[in-house]
Amino acid sequence: MAENDDGLEELGLSKSLTRRQVLRRSVGGFLVLYGGALPKVAAAGVPKYVHKHYRNTLKIIQWSHFVPAYDVWFDKTYTKNWGNKHDTDVQVDHIALAQLPARAQAEVAARSGHDIFGHLSPQAGLEDQVINHKEIIQEVSRKVGKVSQVGFKSCYNPKTRKWHGFPENYVPDPIHFRRDLWSQVGIKPSTWEDVRKAAPKLKALGHPVGLGMSNELDSNMLLIALMQCYGAFIQNAHARPAINSKHTIEALKMVRDIYKRGMTNEVFAWTAASNNQGYLSGRLSLAVNAISIIRSAEDANPSLAKNTSVAPIPRGPIQRLGLEHVMGVYTIWKFSKQKALAKRFIADLEINYQGAFKNSKFYNFPAFRGAVHNYARQLAADPHKGKYKVLDLIARKYTANLGYPGFSNAAIDEIFNTWLIPQMFAQVAQGKMTPAEAAKAAQQEFRPIFAKWRSRGKI
Amino acid sequence: MAAVAEAGPRSRRVRDLFEDRRFLAPALIGPAALFILLLVGAPLVLAVYLSMTDATAGQLSGKFVWFNNFVDAWHNDNFRRALRNTIIFTLASQAIVLVGAGILAHALVRPFRGRWFLRLLVLLPWAAPVAVSTIGFLWIFDSQFSVVNWTLVHDLMPGGGHFYLYRPVNWVLGGIDHLPWVHVGKIDRLNPPQWLGQPTLAMVAIIFVQAWRILPFATVIFIAGLSSIPTEVNDAAKVDGATGLRKFWHVTLPLQLPIATVALLFGIVFTATDMTVVYILTSGGPFNSTHMLTTWAYQTGIVSSNLGEGAAISLYLLPVLLVVTVLMLRFARRVEVS
Amino acid sequence: MWSTLRERGLSYLIVGPFAIVLAFPFYWMLVTAFKTNGDLYNLDNVPFTYHKSEAALGEKFSFRHDHWLPFGFENATPSHVGFIFNDTNYLRWVENTAVVGGLVVLITLLFAVPAGYSLARLSGRWGQSVGVGIFLTYLVPPTLLFLPLSRVISKLGLQDRLWSLVLVYPSFTIPFATWLLMGFFRTIPAELEDAALIDGCSRLKALARVIFPISIPGILTVVIFSFSLCVNEFVYAITFISGTKQHTISAGVPTDLIRGDVYFWQSLMAATLIPSILLALLYNTFLNRFIAGFTGGAFR
Repeated sequence: MAENDDGLEELGLSKSLTRRQVLRRSVGGFLVLYGGALPKVAAAGVPKYVHKHYRNTLKIIQWSHFVPAYDVWFDKTYTKNWGNKHDTDVQVDHIALAQLPARAQAEVAARSGHDIFGHLSPQAGLEDQVINHKEIIQEVSRKVGKVSQVGFKSCYNPKTRKWHGFPENYVPDPIHFRRDLWSQVGIKPSTWEDVRKAAPKLKALGHPVGLGMSNELDSNMLLIALMQCYGAFIQNAHARPAINSKHTIEALKMVRDIYKRGMTNEVFAWTAASNNQGYLSGRLSLAVNAISIIRSAEDANPSLAKNTSVAPIPRGPIQRLGLEHVMGVYTIWKFSKQKALAKRFIADLEINYQGAFKNSKFYNFPAFRGAVHNYARQLAADPHKGKYKVLDLIARKYTANLGYPGFSNAAIDEIFNTWLIPQMFAQVAQGKMTPAEAAKAAQQEFRPIFAKWRSRGKI
Repeated sequence: MAAVAEAGPRSRRVRDLFEDRRFLAPALIGPAALFILLLVGAPLVLAVYLSMTDATAGQLSGKFVWFNNFVDAWHNDNFRRALRNTIIFTLASQAIVLVGAGILAHALVRPFRGRWFLRLLVLLPWAAPVAVSTIGFLWIFDSQFSVVNWTLVHDLMPGGGHFYLYRPVNWVLGGIDHLPWVHVGKIDRLNPPQWLGQPTLAMVAIIFVQAWRILPFATVIFIAGLSSIPTEVNDAAKVDGATGLRKFWHVTLPLQLPIATVALLFGIVFTATDMTVVYILTSGGPFNSTHMLTTWAYQTGIVSSNLGEGAAISLYLLPVLLVVTVLMLRFARRVEVS
Repeated sequence: MWSTLRERGLSYLIVGPFAIVLAFPFYWMLVTAFKTNGDLYNLDNVPFTYHKSEAALGEKFSFRHDHWLPFGFENATPSHVGFIFNDTNYLRWVENTAVVGGLVVLITLLFAVPAGYSLARLSGRWGQSVGVGIFLTYLVPPTLLFLPLSRVISKLGLQDRLWSLVLVYPSFTIPFATWLLMGFFRTIPAELEDAALIDGCSRLKALARVIFPISIPGILTVVIFSFSLCVNEFVYAITFISGTKQHTISAGVPTDLIRGDVYFWQSLMAATLIPSILLALLYNTFLNRFIAGFTGGAFR
């Protein structure tokens, strides 16, 4: 051992001995201080917080809401009050949006997990692992009225006659645009043709429009909605792939044109945050996104917020129809031990949706329209001068479900989750395929997916 | 090799047992082997089973389809690209690591003022948890706010000289363009490179991040190897008149081969089986062009709920790595002996 | 003298650029962590210095009056760094990571030291192959294993508890550590043990009294590697544990600091910097001993 040290000394490696000692002592002190952490953390590792008062425990998991105040309200106020009324300890865990599928599958594999799982899109693929949510639908309908079309067609499977999820909320998807810049070019984004005309002019001003074509949520929603406006759909009402149509080709041509003359290739690299950040920096003149953009602007850049208008999706040659940005779907696993309690919780949440509607800053719209009263008045009462009134119109008239005109199903889920639509648009925009080729290739890609799920009896 | 125990007959027998090599060896390995068998072996068997069924969405069972999943995977373009990418990313990043760590280790072995601090800086990428440091790179390579692009495109000396970094870089790129088969293009000031949006640049970004985080690790291994060269060898070389480059080529390099092999092996394993970097940086995009086998398996198995297929794709990795590992260990041992 | 000056110059010339490239992202993270939202999302601003902007919700300009600070730091805000300490369970995550890492290291040593010793000394020919075999189990990626393991974890009642990680992490640290220690033990001359045995020690006593002290560097090597493997692990940490108080750093940061499509970049940067610097300090301090561990290592 001594030889080793000598060797090290020769190589000059033991010079830092004193420094090391100093550090070692401070690290040691740190460890001693936190020595108490071990039992503390081990105890905290027990999630079953033994609360003497409550008879039951209900575990919920859902995403971290982009409005942190919503999570604070939900976790600390709403669930606690509900829990007190029902003698239940309600535990709410959060998870990042991207990890939802992995976590869901892990719970299924483990046959144990949370009683209520909050997804952000209908999960038709998990149909076999969840209960039939019919009872909750019926209970809520009795109290506040029918479920909206969006909710119905997102969470109901007509083939198996099963409600594979409870549609709790959906988020309308308006466009945000810079009034001041658009008035400079003298156009308003009421139709997609207007956008096509304005795009090169706005780019020349240094403020291009922002239509993402990347593997992320915003691009997915925007492009499918745009297709709808052109009468192009992924499937028809009978759940057969219908993407190869002249409408699709026209939509592809339109986006390619906008890209070539009005955007740069950054849009192929966008994340879900990119259009937010691009708009907030003052650069983008148009973004299609839920109101997270303007709410962030109100906090960070009030002058920008004043110049921003919120409007429905532009009209296409066939119609004006958008999609929900995300849809909050609650599911209860078949193996949950608190099914009755979970159903009660969900029903109560939906029936009294006013709190959630307000605390999410109007991000969450209830899937049962009657659960909230006086939309117009509440939206108008927002301190930002009636900007949000249009959300009601969008939510009522211009929001369709994913999979429109058919129902959301596992095949749609798979196509959505693997970004096949943004990829189709991106390849056309970059000139890698002609629109006709792309539409045909997409149809061929979709057919086996639909066939697979059909053979499993889900469509 | 019996030791003489002095206690009574019974405890002597127990002690003898512990002395017996044939008992002791398995007894010592037993716990580790059992642990690994249970926590890795058993799930692996389950995964192999899954890969031969049509399981979906988390249910851990399904109908047997035997080798269909493997065949179907192979016929998918994305899979082949993922396989190619796994090889390219691994080899390219590890080549950079090997050369970089070799040079850096040589420089760090000798003492000089400030070495402790510089070594601290060098260690940072390895010390950072890979998930969070990759999120940091997401911002560094952002499509709009990338600091790399900013530095390339903006005037770095606004007061006096007006220096734009992209100009000398474009000069170099222009030179590279003269080479056959290579076309790199130039940096456009108004439309800076999309590090995560263009397929080739995205691959470069991923390779860079992998090399960046493994370099310190490999450097430390190399330093260890260098310090293990006995001083007699150094002295002998000096006596023989071998210095500088000749010494490097004939003495240092051969002696470093075993340790270099180890560094390379670990580096290859860490890169090829890693999902985090690609998943966070590009999620396999743009258009599935940067998928590795691990992320493609995740996308197929978890995101698309085709569990059986996902399992099959993951399993393709195993034999590849097996071959690489065995070859390299053999090589290391042979070089050791000589 | 001239040659040492030249050598030293050469050292700086070589190490310098490497250190810059490797550490630059961290410098960048440090600068970004203190930026205000208005400054950060402004494409016209120089990213390396701070610029005046409107304060967003929750941002405080704590340095407003310190105009002597360089880089325009009077326009910076510590609010985003403070966010991770005040509004998230960050300290909890750091604790959790440290505790899980520590426990896993202990377990790894417990299993790997005897196994490595056995393979090095006692197993003869089949020892080599078992050694390679153990290393190969390391090559099964967690993207595959986490689903069946979820089932195991839930059967054991460990779901959402840190003990699930403590149980599962050794599965990838033990093979690695065993292989490393096997190589290390092989380099310890057998004469040392034989001497102890001749003196009347039992083999186990020889292991404890003679071998163990000598192999501290090797053990330290295993400690550092295993700990860094645990800190880096992401897939299991995210899928086995869902409660924010039980998260490790790798799991907690993406969950609480990325909300939907809003990334809290400044907080993310700060959250990355803190464990990185701490761990780098730790590793650097023990680097000499660690190198000695490898020196004795698998390649003599």
